[in-house]
Amino acid sequence: MNVATEQIRPRRRRAQARLAAALAPVLGLLAILPAAPAWALPMASQGSVMVMAERSADERELAANFALTARDALGAAVGRWREPMGHGAAMREHEREYTALTYTRLVRRWNMPHAQANLWFVGMLGEVRAHALPGARTLWSPALLADYETTRVYFGAGIEPMRARGLRHDSVVARAGFSFYQAEYDEMQPWLIVQAKRTRWGMDAKSELTPLLRVIHRRFFVELGGNDNGAQVNLMLSY
Amino acid sequence: MNTFTRTHPAALLIAGLLALAGTGAQANGGTLKIQVNGMVCAFCAQGIEKRLTKMPETGPLYINLAQKVVAVEPKAGRRIDVDKVRAEITDAGYDVVKVETVAQTVAAIRAEMKARK
Repeated sequence: MNVATEQIRPRRRRAQARLAAALAPVLGLLAILPAAPAWALPMASQGSVMVMAERSADERELAANFALTARDALGAAVGRWREPMGHGAAMREHEREYTALTYTRLVRRWNMPHAQANLWFVGMLGEVRAHALPGARTLWSPALLADYETTRVYFGAGIEPMRARGLRHDSVVARAGFSFYQAEYDEMQPWLIVQAKRTRWGMDAKSELTPLLRVIHRRFFVELGGNDNGAQVNLMLSY
Repeated sequence: MNTFTRTHPAALLIAGLLALAGTGAQANGGTLKIQVNGMVCAFCAQGIEKRLTKMPETGPLYINLAQKVVAVEPKAGRRIDVDKVRAEITDAGYDVVKVETVAQTVAAIRAEMKARK
């Protein structure tokens, strides 16, 4: 993918410099922290805080939420995504940066003798700023996630549309994996997860297949993986 | 039951208490051994541990994901309310299938389950 320098008028350049200065501490944090997608467990038990961080070649997000009830959590997220626009020599990469409030709802849970399945709603409302677009725009996202797992097998899928006026960032994800061995509650448990993801921005779309090594140990959840687009790191901590 | 304990109820009571004295947890009210559905992942099930360890009457706790068991022992001199434990596990998002009160300590249950592996 060829990245070309964008022609930006001086006034916009100054505005972007001020925005960059304001966001620098947050973006610095995003740069060093791995990112956790909402595709993993999106909230912890009642009264707990969940911190999630996600980083891949084109997306970064840092989020946290607090579980008010066993089924509802409120939180916030800050993130960035990068999308290509144009083709061939005219290809450019545009960055979008967003901050938002989040609401997570456990819509339905099925507790079975040897498995658990869940249906989640994750709503997001905030603002997004983008290069080549003036000011901030209202960003909204209603995501639906579903998962089924046993002590050895995991399946997950989700739809996450993110929209703002003139912007579109829609993701569809499917995940499947298995644990290498049965682990005790207080033991570290490694998993192999394969993620298939299709992302659409406007008229462009991209598909990715990413193998991930997942390690769970009590309140700590980390995934490391990569594909030809780059590395992916997801982290979740629960308190 | 012999003549002495039949005619002396206090003696019967003392004999009963002595019989129970060697069973550790049961003298305090018994370890609860709870079968739970939906408990498949440590990251998810830690909510159960968090809620049960917050209860003032609970002592040692053991969670076994493979056997779908939560075992919780009362602190010395305390008794655990079964309904309260059931409610805590349900509020954590899981289904309680069965609750037993057993004489074993949590350590004994842990050893027994590890031996079964």
